[in-house]
Amino acid sequence: MFLDSVLLILQEILEAALLLSVLLAVNLQLGAQVSEARQLGGLWYAAAICCGILGAAAFAWAMPTITGWFNDVGQEVTNAGMHFVIIACLYVHCRLLRKKADSERMRSLGAGLTLITVIALAITREGSEIFLYLRGISGGPSGVTSAVLGAGVACGIGVSTGILLYFGLLSLSRRAALRVGLALLSLFAGNMAAQAVQLLIQADWIPYSAPLWDTSGVLQEYTITGQLLYALVGYEATPSLIQVSSYLGAMLLIASTPLFRQHWWSGKISA
Amino acid sequence: MSSIRRFLIFGALAVLTLFSFIAALRGYQSSMEEAETLFDAQLLDLSRLVANLETTPATRDLRLGNNLAFQVWEHDRLGSASHQAPTTPITSRVQGFEFANFGGFRWRTYTRHDEGHDRWIMVAERSDLRFLLAENIVLETVLPILLGIPVTGLLIWWVVSKGLRPLEQLSEDLQHKPAHDLTPLAASTAPRELKPVVRAINGLIGRLGAALEREKRLSADAAHELRTPIAALKVQLHNLSREIDVHSDSFQQLEEGVDRMGHLMEQLTALYRTSPEQFSEHRVQLDLYALAQETVAYWYPLFQAKGQTLELVGAPAQIRGDPFALDTLLANLISNASKYTPAHGHVQVSVKTLPGGVVELLVQDDGPGIDAAEHSRIFERFYRADHAIEGVPGCGLGLTIVQHVAELHQATVTVGSSSFKTGAAFRVVFPAEGRA
Repeated sequence: MFLDSVLLILQEILEAALLLSVLLAVNLQLGAQVSEARQLGGLWYAAAICCGILGAAAFAWAMPTITGWFNDVGQEVTNAGMHFVIIACLYVHCRLLRKKADSERMRSLGAGLTLITVIALAITREGSEIFLYLRGISGGPSGVTSAVLGAGVACGIGVSTGILLYFGLLSLSRRAALRVGLALLSLFAGNMAAQAVQLLIQADWIPYSAPLWDTSGVLQEYTITGQLLYALVGYEATPSLIQVSSYLGAMLLIASTPLFRQHWWSGKISA
Repeated sequence: MSSIRRFLIFGALAVLTLFSFIAALRGYQSSMEEAETLFDAQLLDLSRLVANLETTPATRDLRLGNNLAFQVWEHDRLGSASHQAPTTPITSRVQGFEFANFGGFRWRTYTRHDEGHDRWIMVAERSDLRFLLAENIVLETVLPILLGIPVTGLLIWWVVSKGLRPLEQLSEDLQHKPAHDLTPLAASTAPRELKPVVRAINGLIGRLGAALEREKRLSADAAHELRTPIAALKVQLHNLSREIDVHSDSFQQLEEGVDRMGHLMEQLTALYRTSPEQFSEHRVQLDLYALAQETVAYWYPLFQAKGQTLELVGAPAQIRGDPFALDTLLANLISNASKYTPAHGHVQVSVKTLPGGVVELLVQDDGPGIDAAEHSRIFERFYRADHAIEGVPGCGLGLTIVQHVAELHQATVTVGSSSFKTGAAFRVVFPAEGRA
């Protein structure tokens, strides 16, 4: 129970924590010379986290109703929809941050709102699974203590990894941090798209197709390393063709933004 | 990195949490494997114990704990069994450990062949119960690690705060160091890591002191050396006025140039005398209104010549201050107002005591005023507002001197719009008596 709890919750926590860290580091690096931008950024993040936690609780609470939608595949379809909205907002956010990250840009309502949406939806999506799991455990006959301990350990590992990634990105030079950060954002987008497609396959909205490869012999998904890679780059041992295609498509979508091109291809970085 | 404290606390806590939790997970896994081995050894012992049982009617339905079961098969006949065991074989007749399902549970089984009696002994233990038992024992070791993290966080916060204290102390010392205090910082009490910083700051202070000393000598020498030739120039100019046409452009420009040079000398001397590093104050109790009256009377002819109105309003207001410095402040504000107010304009000087005992000096005019964008810059040395440059003589030091004098009296000086239709207002607020 303990290990199951750790693995299940770690998967959810890691994904949200890493996304939050990368977005925070990228935005901070872009607006590093503007003190107001930092203060404003802090408020946006706090609002996004609060919205995410409230959203996760509400989503978990409404899950029985949501599950009944679309001929009883409401949960899968809604989750997939959230993933697509996250990708779209990530794309718009990157576009809005394209130009000089001066105070006007950082203050722009669009960038702030897309930031809130991405983080809040990511926390809602991952957090609702945790709420559902803990609610299920608390109604069970035994194992509550070990599940709660597992949740605590998973939270500790997930949040610590996020903090270390954030400080790691900040310790790099601005140019390197933005390159790594934007590359990670494009991988997150790919991960989100692949997961969304997987959910739609489960809902029978997309036909099932055979896996392209099987790397479970090398690294299983349900190990700590597998979970870390799953959260970071969307590692899946047996992906189908459509999952791989959607992964690459979402990655390219983020990579096509002027912000990404500016920091990866042009070699020039404006303040 | 926006905060060293935050970086150290969160960074240290994250590293500690990550590695202690991963170590706890590894410990959990290996402890569970150890526990499995231990339980298997117990199962093996149980099978040896059962092998010593004689088959009697009493051993056909022996009561054991709910988590254990056994069977003794003599050829195809069930000889002895525990009350939970089924009537069919628990597992296959292959010696060793296995898993089996019966009675609605999953069981860990061990089968041994008793060659002496040609019997098969099968023992079983409920998998879920032994897992729970093992997990409860192992988690007892994980719990303190989890509970220890908040305590560790507090300790890290305390240690980091303690470690950063000398840095904060240095920052406070520098912030609270008076502008004229150029004594070096104490390097002996600073920790080893901060000693180079303190030494560098002391070097900077030393160089600043030397530069100020040079500036002081230069100003004093320049004032002394130039005062005499300028006075001589004025005398020669006066003599010249008897010999040539005083209305000629050349003479007028020469006279203006000499006046401007004389004014610049006076202002430079005043700036030097009122700078916080040089000022030797002689504070006395004085009436700011009375002082303003004297200054207004002194400057009145200038206003009269331009057809301007100079008005003094208010009431006696007591402050502690240096009369010479305050006279310089008033003279600069009043002459500035005259300069930037057109002919026939209006200048008002007001002195009053506000609630709380603070004294306000307000000099306002109905001139063109000052753009808000320039408010922060007009107190800089040699800065002149755009509109001021055209046709108005000045050197850009007057307001710097005003600010110096205000700072010497712990007063604040601000610029805003006047209560006339147009114009600027300079407000100097002196602290209440006893707080200055």
